[in-house]
Amino acid sequence: MILHVNHIPQKQNALAGNVACALVGVAADGQVQGPVLENLNVHLEWLQYKTNFREAIALRRAVRGNEVLPWIELGVDLRQVQPDCLKEEVVAVLKDAEALDGSAKRVYLEPFCPGRLGMIWQFNRLFWQHLPLWESASGQGFERALPGGTSDANHPEAVSDAVTEFWTLLNDLDTRKQLPQEIFTIEIGVGTGQRAAAWLDRFRAFDREKGTNYYPRIRFLLADYSMATLNRAMEAVREHRELASFLAVDALDPFKSLSFLRYKVLSIHLTNVYDNLPTDEVVVRDGKLYLVEARAYVPTTAAARISEAFGIPVAEFRRTVSRLLEVGPQHIHHNGPELGVAFWRSVWDAIRLEERYVAIQGILDVQLPAGVKPGILETFVGEGVMNQRFHISSGALESFVNTVPLLHPRGFLQVQDIFVTKLDDYGRLFRGPGKMDGSIVNWVNGALLAEVGAQAGYDVHFAPFPYRQGSRTSILYTTQRE
Amino acid sequence: MSLPILYTTVVGSYSMPGWLERLKTEYFARRISRQELDEIHDVAVKAAVKDQEVCGLDVVTDGELRRDNMIDYFAERLPGVQTDHTSKKFYYDFYDSVVRGKLPMASLRLSDDFKFLAAFTDRSTKFCVTGPHSLVKRIKDEYYKNEEAFAMDLARVMNMELKELARAGARYIQIDEPYYSGFPEDLQWGVKVLNTLVDGVDAKIALHVCYGNRYGKPSWAGNYRYLFPAILEANVHALTLEFARRGGEDLELFKEFPNKFELGVGVIDVKTHEVETPEIVAERLRKALKFVPAERVFALPDCGCLHLPQEVAFAKLRSMVQGAKIVRKELGA
Repeated sequence: MILHVNHIPQKQNALAGNVACALVGVAADGQVQGPVLENLNVHLEWLQYKTNFREAIALRRAVRGNEVLPWIELGVDLRQVQPDCLKEEVVAVLKDAEALDGSAKRVYLEPFCPGRLGMIWQFNRLFWQHLPLWESASGQGFERALPGGTSDANHPEAVSDAVTEFWTLLNDLDTRKQLPQEIFTIEIGVGTGQRAAAWLDRFRAFDREKGTNYYPRIRFLLADYSMATLNRAMEAVREHRELASFLAVDALDPFKSLSFLRYKVLSIHLTNVYDNLPTDEVVVRDGKLYLVEARAYVPTTAAARISEAFGIPVAEFRRTVSRLLEVGPQHIHHNGPELGVAFWRSVWDAIRLEERYVAIQGILDVQLPAGVKPGILETFVGEGVMNQRFHISSGALESFVNTVPLLHPRGFLQVQDIFVTKLDDYGRLFRGPGKMDGSIVNWVNGALLAEVGAQAGYDVHFAPFPYRQGSRTSILYTTQRE
Repeated sequence: MSLPILYTTVVGSYSMPGWLERLKTEYFARRISRQELDEIHDVAVKAAVKDQEVCGLDVVTDGELRRDNMIDYFAERLPGVQTDHTSKKFYYDFYDSVVRGKLPMASLRLSDDFKFLAAFTDRSTKFCVTGPHSLVKRIKDEYYKNEEAFAMDLARVMNMELKELARAGARYIQIDEPYYSGFPEDLQWGVKVLNTLVDGVDAKIALHVCYGNRYGKPSWAGNYRYLFPAILEANVHALTLEFARRGGEDLELFKEFPNKFELGVGVIDVKTHEVETPEIVAERLRKALKFVPAERVFALPDCGCLHLPQEVAFAKLRSMVQGAKIVRKELGA
C-alpha cells in the first residue's frame, strides 16, 4: 500500500496522523489480501466543500476496455471520515471492489460516463432553470451559498475599476478616431443583475464626469441561458432599459447566438460561470494516463428514506429522478410543486459519484472541444508528470473559444472565477467538484486555458481579486497576442 | 502566359495542416532535424500547389508553408538581423529578433523557394514578400535612428532580392503590408520605402493591405480611407484589399480617387469557416466592377488561407474560381 497525503490543512494534521495509523493497521492485520494491498494507493485529502459528491472513503478501480486493471485507489476525505471505524470501513469498501458491476448499497442513476456528460450537470441546469423555486424552498438567495455570502461580481470597487479601465479603452479609440458608433459590451451569466446595474450606474456617472457622452452609445447585452435569471436581471437594470438587451445564450457557445457581433464587442465579462460548466478530468498515476469516468448514485438507505418521505415506491425512485430532470420539479409530485422541489433538494443532497479510471494510450486521446487543437494537451502536461489529477475544464475551454471571436481587435475578455494557474497547484487543494447550493462548482484549469488562449491569439493573464480579503477568486483578462 | 480577365489567385498562404504545425514545433524542440523539416516542407508545398491547381486558380503560390509566420521567414534570412532561436515555444510565435548594426547587402536566397515552386507547376506563379514597414514593427531596432531609416535600409537590401526573384522568372510579386492598417500615421514614409523596395524590379508588383490575419482574426479595425491619397504615389501595379469580411463600402474610394491600379478584390472571408457559394463570390465581383473596369480586376481571398482547415480552404477557393467564371460569362469573356 502506498499512502499519498495530498493537501491537509495544518489544523487537521493530528487527524491525518490518526487516519494514517489506522490504515497501517489495516495493512498489518492481514484482513486485506496481499495482491490487493500490493496495488493499493490511498489518497488522504481534505475536501473543503462541505457538501460534495464523495463518501468518506471512495473506491476507484482502473479499467482498460473490459479488462479491470490491478490498480486500486481509495480516496479518504478527512472531513467526513470517522477514525474509530475507519478499519472496518476500508475493509468493507475493498470487498466491494470485487463486485465489478457495482455495489448493492447504491442505487445507480446512470452508467459510467466521462465527467462532462454526467447526470449531475442536468441537475445543475435544473437549478438555474428553476432557481426561484429552489430559493423559495431554501428561504435564501443563491448568492448566500457563495464564500462571503455575496458574489464578487458585485463588489463596488471591482465594478468601478472595470468601468475606469473600459472608459480608458474607449477614450483611446476615440482619440484615434476608431471608436465604433455603437459600443457593445456583454455580460454572460448575469446572476441577479446587480453587477450589470452597478456597472451601468457607474459608467453613466463617470462618463458625465468626463463629459465624453459615451453612455448613450453603450449597447449592454445581458446573456444567460436561464430565463428566470434574465427576468430578474431585467428588473435590476430597469433604469438603463434603453441600452440593455436580454438574450438567451448558451455559455458554452455565445457565438452561436451572437455571431452578428463578430469582432465588434469591446468588453465581455463573466463571473462564476466557468466554474459551473461541465468538465472532464484526467488522472496520471505512476506516469500512466487515465480519463476519469463517473456514475451518479444515491446510497440505497438514502433512496429508501427519500422514497418513504415522499410516498414513492422504492422501485420507482430512479424513474422519478429521471422525470424530475425531464419535466422539472413542479410536475413530479401529485401533492403539489412544493413537494416536488423538496424531493429534488433531498435527491441532490444525497447524490454521490462513483468514479473509475479508464486507461488511455496517450494524452491525445482526451476529447477536447471543437476548435481546440489536440496537441495543446501535450504542451500542457509535458513530460515527467507522474501523479496528478486535473480538470480539462471542457466547458470553460469551449466557452472561451466560442466567445473570443466576438471581440473587437482592441476588445478584452474579463473573467472572475476560481482558477488553477499552474498544473502543480492541482496537488495543493481539492479542486472539485463540490456542491454549491443546488449547483456544481469546479475550479477552472487556468493554465490550460492560457495555452488555448495563446493558440487562439490571446495572451491570458491572471490577477488576484484584491477587493475581498481571503478571496480565492482571480481575475482573468485577455490581451491580443502579437 | 496570358491570364483571363478576373483571374483568380491566393493572397499567399494556403491552409497549414495541423500535422505540419506539430512537426514545425517538433523542430524547435530539436526532435527533428533541419534537413528532415526541409524535406517535409517540400512535400507539403507540392501538395499545396496541387490543391490550388485542382481548384482551378490561374496564379498559384507555394502556399507559404515553409514560413513560420510572415516575419520570421525574412528575419532569419536578413543579413544583420540576429534571431534568438530559443525564443519561441510554438512555431507560429515570433522570434525575438534584433538589428544592432547597419544591414549589409547580401542575399536572402528567396529565389530558391521560387524556383522550387516554378518547377512543380505549369500555372503562372506569384511570390509574396513581407514589406519593410511590417518587418520593422516586429524586429527590434538598436541601431537606426527611427523606423523610417530602418525600413528604408531594409528596402534597399530587399530590392536586390526582388530583382533576383525577377531574374529567376518571378513575374508576379506581392508585397504584404498589413501593418499599414495598424499604423496609418506611417503611410507617408511607408510609401516612400515601398517605392525604394520595388524600384527597377522587372515584375508585376501588387501591394496587399488588410486588417491583419494573425491567429485568423483581425488585428485592427477601421476602413481604407486612410490609404488615400498617399497610396496613389505607390509605384505598384495592383492593390489587393479585403472586401469580403468588411463589405464593399470602401470600393467607393476607387471612384473618389481615380487611379490606374489593378484591384485584387478580396471575395473570400478567411476568418470564417463558412464556405461562400459561387453566387456570393460573383455578387462581390459584380459590386467591384461598378468601380473598376473588369480588365483591372482579379479575385482572391481577403488574406492568406493559413488558418483555415484544408477542406474549407479548398472549398472556398473552388467557389471563388466558379464565381469568377459566372461573371466572366456574363461579361462575354
